[in-house]
Amino acid sequence: MTKYIIQRLIAAAFAFIIIIAVCFFVLYSMPGSIISNPTIKDETVIKKIEEKYHLNEPLPVQFGYFIKDYMNFDFGESLVVRPGVKVFDVIKERINVTIQLNVFSALFTLPIGMFFGITMALKKDSVYDYICSSIVILVISAPSFVIAAVLQYFLAYKLGWFPLTLAPIVELNWEKFYSMILPIFAMSFGSIASISRMLRAELSEVLTSDYMLLAKAKGLTYSQTIVRHALRNACVPLASTFLYLFVWVISSSLVIENIFGVPGLSKVLVSAINARDHQLTLGVTYFYTLIGLLMAIAADLSYGVVDPRIRMGAKKDG
Amino acid sequence: MDNMILEKDPILSEDILNIDESEFKLRKKDDIIYDAKFEGEAISYGRDVWNRFKADKVTVVATTFIVIIIIMAIIGPHLSKFTYIEQNLEHAYLPPRIPGLEKIGIFDGTKVITIQKKNLENYQDCLLKVIREYSMSTRTGETTMLDIEIDVYKQKGAEDVYHWFGTDSLGRDLFARLWQGTRISLILAFAVVLINLTIGLVVGAVAGYYGGWIDIIIQRALEIINSIPQLPLTLILIMWFGSGILPLIIVFVLTGWVGISSSVRVQFYRYKNREYVLASRTMGAKDSRIMYKYILPNAAGTIITSCALSVPSVIFQEAGLSYLGLGIQAPNPSIGQLLSDGQKVLLDYPHLLLFPALVIVLLMLAFNLLGNGLRDAFNPSLRQ
Repeated sequence: MTKYIIQRLIAAAFAFIIIIAVCFFVLYSMPGSIISNPTIKDETVIKKIEEKYHLNEPLPVQFGYFIKDYMNFDFGESLVVRPGVKVFDVIKERINVTIQLNVFSALFTLPIGMFFGITMALKKDSVYDYICSSIVILVISAPSFVIAAVLQYFLAYKLGWFPLTLAPIVELNWEKFYSMILPIFAMSFGSIASISRMLRAELSEVLTSDYMLLAKAKGLTYSQTIVRHALRNACVPLASTFLYLFVWVISSSLVIENIFGVPGLSKVLVSAINARDHQLTLGVTYFYTLIGLLMAIAADLSYGVVDPRIRMGAKKDG
Repeated sequence: MDNMILEKDPILSEDILNIDESEFKLRKKDDIIYDAKFEGEAISYGRDVWNRFKADKVTVVATTFIVIIIIMAIIGPHLSKFTYIEQNLEHAYLPPRIPGLEKIGIFDGTKVITIQKKNLENYQDCLLKVIREYSMSTRTGETTMLDIEIDVYKQKGAEDVYHWFGTDSLGRDLFARLWQGTRISLILAFAVVLINLTIGLVVGAVAGYYGGWIDIIIQRALEIINSIPQLPLTLILIMWFGSGILPLIIVFVLTGWVGISSSVRVQFYRYKNREYVLASRTMGAKDSRIMYKYILPNAAGTIITSCALSVPSVIFQEAGLSYLGLGIQAPNPSIGQLLSDGQKVLLDYPHLLLFPALVIVLLMLAFNLLGNGLRDAFNPSLRQ
């Protein structure tokens, strides 16, 4: 197992360096630069910036400096979007609300998705199953921003139950949480639908397998067979699906954040790219890539944790 | 072998060896054959798939919807009297008004607004009815407010005009724009899926069929492409290429072919060592013939299904980018562009979001259902 983890980590590190390098070269060879920003007019300031970021050196040399800084966990400073603020601080400040939204939506998604998935599989081909399946396919087909718009229009504007946008409060209190409910809803509906669809398919396949018959034959009660034998096997792909959904939601919550006026990380990314604030762009990309790669490894390993039969790597030679 | 047995068994061998030639006679020719005749006709795989496809009502309905939407995307922009770029600032933000339906009270070009009572005379000519009157306290004291229903078409001097789905902020006809947008979104989606299919098919087939180090290299490359975070990549590429149909196609193709290629690879890997493939290789068939004639038909079901399912995801992603102002560029509409325009004025003019949202949900629903239906239709184990 350890060997496998180390192998995966090395492969991930390799992929990571390639991605960062590609981003670096694409960004820095783009037409226009930080200095072409019209707000900076002073010649000496321009000289200073050029010197500090080695802008007059060829690109590969710049890349060398860049990697050296990143190795020392120095992510540089934002130049245009938040002038003078350390990139790390910008990310730290913005990441809070994004993470909060995502964690809440995950906490909301998992139990509800599992509930519907399990009940749909147990009552397969009943009226309940048909109704839920139709709703699931409808929700999967409706883009999250359409769901967000519908929620905003009816629940917030027409009925006035929830605030229209996120409350501009830094710390997490009841009022802030209350205003976060609609974005959380909008972000979770799609995931809930995917999880229940997947769980329904898995569980209904497990229920027809031979060992379920055996479990019944040796005299277990219905609930015992379901909880001990069926659910455990049906949940094997759940962990990895959930992790992938989590990464997907983090990177696709941009539109939702836009609609509800959430000052999240993805908003910083868009404005950084627009303003050619390369240091900040690279910092945020670095962060997204890191999360994505680590989650992918975690998702693969989770199979082994949930299902003892899949302990790959360790048993490669025996 | 037979001779040995015959020799060991003298009684039998004597009997058999001494049959007189006259005892042999041709049977079968005029005799009745007692085997049961085949009932019904032989059904080919394609025919079988078609039968299952037809039998599933949901899939047929979904296909009908897709066909209707495609037809509307072709002829829709010409059905309206207005073109999709024709502006008329005086007729901005007209609500939907459809001849026929207006008589039963929906889509009749009316709108409920809230005004101060002292301003009522401004709306005298277009006022239909006062819904309620109430007082509201403001900084200057009590003000009487009115909820009134007005005929917007009368107010803006457009009584003889019918905008079926209303107009947007520049007075452009939403009906024409919506179908034009659908057309562009569909063209984008089909182009992307076609290119993805071509690249994915070639790469997946090569990786799966030849295996070995080619496969290992391709797999590692795919892993790296897959772990690139989608959002920054897309944004950087669009900043790089500018936005428009062609750059968007490049952006979607760059990472989109990976999924199709890995599903093709699995199918080729699975079928390449089957007996019939071995047989044709023994008879001297070239690799390209084996791949094209003997393996590809097995993989066709999976490939067609994943293509049908990736059409809505392209439309969805384009819409997401449009929300950030990075999608198809004005004045060309796409469904995503119309949605994001509608989102901006959602609270005042919900019709601008309603119609594009309906079309995109219908389109995605239909393609998802079609994909599911195709998956079942191509699955021979569901044969009845």
